[in-house]
Amino acid sequence: MEPDAQLVQGCLRGEGPAWEELVRRHTRRVFNLCYRFTGNSTEAEDLSQEVFLRIYRTLASYRPAFGAFPTWLTSVTRNLLVDHYRRTRRDRLTDSIEDAMPKLENKQSAARTPDKLALASELSAQLQQGLGRLSPELREAVILRDLQGLDYSEIQSVLEVPEGTVKSRINRGRIELARILEEMGLRPQN
Amino acid sequence: MTDWNCARTEERLSEYLDGILSPAEAAAFSAHSSSCDACGKLVAQVGALVHHMRALDALETPPQLIPKILESTLGPRTQSAGWQRWFAWVPQLWQPRFAMGVITVAATILIALYTTGISPTKLKKADLSPTNVFRTANRQVHLTYARSAKFVNDLRVVYEIQTRLQPDAEPSPSITPAPAPQQNTQPPAVNPQEKSQTSPHPGHSQSRNGTMLASLLSGNWTGNFGAVVICNIPRSPQ
Repeated sequence: MEPDAQLVQGCLRGEGPAWEELVRRHTRRVFNLCYRFTGNSTEAEDLSQEVFLRIYRTLASYRPAFGAFPTWLTSVTRNLLVDHYRRTRRDRLTDSIEDAMPKLENKQSAARTPDKLALASELSAQLQQGLGRLSPELREAVILRDLQGLDYSEIQSVLEVPEGTVKSRINRGRIELARILEEMGLRPQN
Repeated sequence: MTDWNCARTEERLSEYLDGILSPAEAAAFSAHSSSCDACGKLVAQVGALVHHMRALDALETPPQLIPKILESTLGPRTQSAGWQRWFAWVPQLWQPRFAMGVITVAATILIALYTTGISPTKLKKADLSPTNVFRTANRQVHLTYARSAKFVNDLRVVYEIQTRLQPDAEPSPSITPAPAPQQNTQPPAVNPQEKSQTSPHPGHSQSRNGTMLASLLSGNWTGNFGAVVICNIPRSPQ
């Protein structure tokens, strides 16, 4: 049995240390996914906390036979991110400045927050800004593939869309992001 | 794959970069992108972006995030590591009942020190040696015992005098004066002035006794004890 599956079994038996280990093992992945999607450190922390709260309550519904625990965790995180995006969309639409420049808030907050120190370089910060200008469907596909390192089948099970749609979203997302970065005067070198 | 064009290159770009094209498709893709400037530029641009994103390190988890998650799921937790565990009980001392207890104990110690004559400000290092502590304690115990014994004896004398003076206020024939102690019959030091004051006026015993009691209670009465007894013992019958 995989370590994650053993930990999940321990959690279901009510073992606190097993849950603590599970949290320590996967918090970074969840936080990164949330941060890359929202571009805001505070939001990412709150969402990560919400993700683990949901995992804690629904852990009994996890079946190892249906996929690895990280994939299930990513799926829960992604669903929560989509809920969050829909929940906050009205707020964003009512803001005229954000209407003109979607994700301006995310861009500014990414530049302001202390997380800037954690970003590897200015290129990384601008990449985050570029991600914020992608549509949510393309953004999540690119994040899952290139920043979270999931393969196509895993992304397919997380997004619950056909394989062709996954490929299409990843491809369009990458091309769109490259164009956005070029507009920003940024061209990554190989 | 002679029908490979720019639209198809853009459409299959990610599959090419991820290496999931068939060998024939990959060959056609490479052939077109190397011959088409626009497609070649796009492939290089997106390829660099993908390479860059995959090379990025994951962001560090904020230090407060994991404790917050554990607290929201498992409840409040008190984690203290290393030496902090040894002092985990200290904050509990600031509860009102413990604080009052500490203050009471400190006040008791201060009062005890003050009573025994030990001044914390005048303490020297040598005073703390076991020998000196024992010597001081022994001395204080003996002094206290001697003072207590003296106080009890003094009280006994005062009450004895009061008992003897009582018949003057309420004369009763049944009460006879107690026999005088041996040492009082021949006092070692008799105040002639006091004797001269008392002997000519035996009838004024009440006021005289009041004066003597006052002098007794004022403190310096032990020296006059003999005179007091002499003045009262050989009383003439009224």
